[in-house]
Amino acid sequence: MTDSPVASSTPKSAAKASRKRTMLDPQRPSWATLMMFLLPAISLLIVFRLAPIAISIGGSFTSQSLLGETTFHGLGNYSNLFADEGFWNSVRVTLLFNIIINPLQIFVAFIMALLVFAPGRFLTFFRVSFFLPMTMSTALVAVMWNLLFDPNLGLVNSILAQTPLGRQGFFFDEDQALGAMIWISTWKGAGYYMIFLLAGLFRISEELYEAAHVDGASPWQQLRLITLPQMKRTFLFVFVADTTVNLLFFAPVYIITRGGPNGSTDTLMYRAYESSFTFVDWGRALSLSCILLSLVVIVACAQMLFFKPGEGE
Amino acid sequence: MNDTFRPGTHHPVKHIGRYTLMCALAFLALAPLLWMFLSSLRPTQEMFSYAGSFSWHTIWPETFTLSNYTGLLETGFPRAIGNSLFVAGVTMVIGVLVNAAAAFAFATFQFRFRGPLFLLVLLTAMMPFEAIVLPLYMLVNKLGMIDSYSVLIVPELANGFVILMFRQFFAAIPRELYEAGRIDGASWLRIFFFIALPVSWPVILTGSIMIFITQFEAFFWPLVAAPSAELTVAQVEIAKNISLEGANWGLLFSSMSIVCVIAALPFLVFQRFYIRNVASSGIK
Repeated sequence: MTDSPVASSTPKSAAKASRKRTMLDPQRPSWATLMMFLLPAISLLIVFRLAPIAISIGGSFTSQSLLGETTFHGLGNYSNLFADEGFWNSVRVTLLFNIIINPLQIFVAFIMALLVFAPGRFLTFFRVSFFLPMTMSTALVAVMWNLLFDPNLGLVNSILAQTPLGRQGFFFDEDQALGAMIWISTWKGAGYYMIFLLAGLFRISEELYEAAHVDGASPWQQLRLITLPQMKRTFLFVFVADTTVNLLFFAPVYIITRGGPNGSTDTLMYRAYESSFTFVDWGRALSLSCILLSLVVIVACAQMLFFKPGEGE
Repeated sequence: MNDTFRPGTHHPVKHIGRYTLMCALAFLALAPLLWMFLSSLRPTQEMFSYAGSFSWHTIWPETFTLSNYTGLLETGFPRAIGNSLFVAGVTMVIGVLVNAAAAFAFATFQFRFRGPLFLLVLLTAMMPFEAIVLPLYMLVNKLGMIDSYSVLIVPELANGFVILMFRQFFAAIPRELYEAGRIDGASWLRIFFFIALPVSWPVILTGSIMIFITQFEAFFWPLVAAPSAELTVAQVEIAKNISLEGANWGLLFSSMSIVCVIAALPFLVFQRFYIRNVASSGIK
């Protein structure tokens, strides 16, 4: 129903039309009209999105005393941070988490997309099932899996107790906690990225597969030589979106482990939260925020580099 | 065109393999949710007595009861869910208008600084909100907004991603549609409200769901920005209860079930729209 003739006009013809339009009828409204449309959204974005970035950068060079006085601290926050063993642990945890979870989530999402893409029966049921965990908030996913993984009363351990594996510590075990975090985030996130990948699969021209079939290409070759190359942009988009979210992984750590056991889930975002609200060291919190922001910007810029201008919307 | 050469079709062994894998994944996705719903319908003592050993009754309740739901009435949960719905609803209504208006300007008008301003929108669309929670807290603290409904609503009104989605739709509306209105002397505001918005209902629907869900599921921001009990939203309330010593599991399950259903309903009802609009706005 969304595919009205309006929406289906190709970008190229739309661009041509807009050029023609500009010549015939430059849509230049009065200053007041323009402000009426733009001002609310733009001013809100500047105050509540752009200004915090500036505060973050500026504030990271200051330190606050207990009396609330702000003094210039130069690079002091950063040098303190870099000298702190706990900070490097957080860097390690955050990077390890991302190196594992981003490829894993996208791999599972791609498998799901391939499974529900090919024609078959009950596909709507499977699509909705795969998608359903995504409708749950990260906070509730954390609460629910915390109960499921409970050492004594959780369902998972009731089942494991019947197997040779026996009960596991999960969030209470230093070696398993981060893995359990990866598991619950993948459980929630894979279905979400499946939707984008599925849309990408549907955009690939049928003729490519037919031609490959005529040439006698095996399904594996079709996947490797047609599907994957054609999906490059989609994968890139999904990968960037996934990474920016996972770099800032916070709610499950706050709710379940508080960074423990023994720092094994102490992500950078949780450390930044702790610095500000537990230790009230805003200079440190803001310098951590800055480091996270630059990580996000680096990932987003990677996307800009790969997309041609105007395509990345 | 069902007779295609897409990978993984037709061959009977592959067919069985494919459906087995799909069933396994669907089970993994649905089983925890089902466990949560079933557990919300059983007395708490029963939940614990069967947890030690695994049997049919570890999952399936022996007696069904609604006491976990009625018990919620005596907790802070009704207030919290009311807060969540209020905050999400208000943000949704105002947010859709604010974002659609800006998108309309970007799609329709020529003006100075259009490029840089659009870059600002793009930037904010790509930046996850969590990245600025701490500096934003300092900012609203200075503005004296901390611990109020407005601190939960106002910073979330403008949404770069929703602006992009609307802009893409508005850009495809032929100008002829507006010309008739212009000749009749209608203002741009009238054209926006009576011509552009009515044809945009699929995007309005998707954008509304998106803003509503983002707000309804928000955790980090409400946690830090609105700490007082009267302003606690459902997500924070539930997370708070789990850390209590001897948390009441029955109440946890029933409150979680309610919140999950509220969040999942719009997706289930508008599944087709939502999936199409989100997926295409992400990559097109």
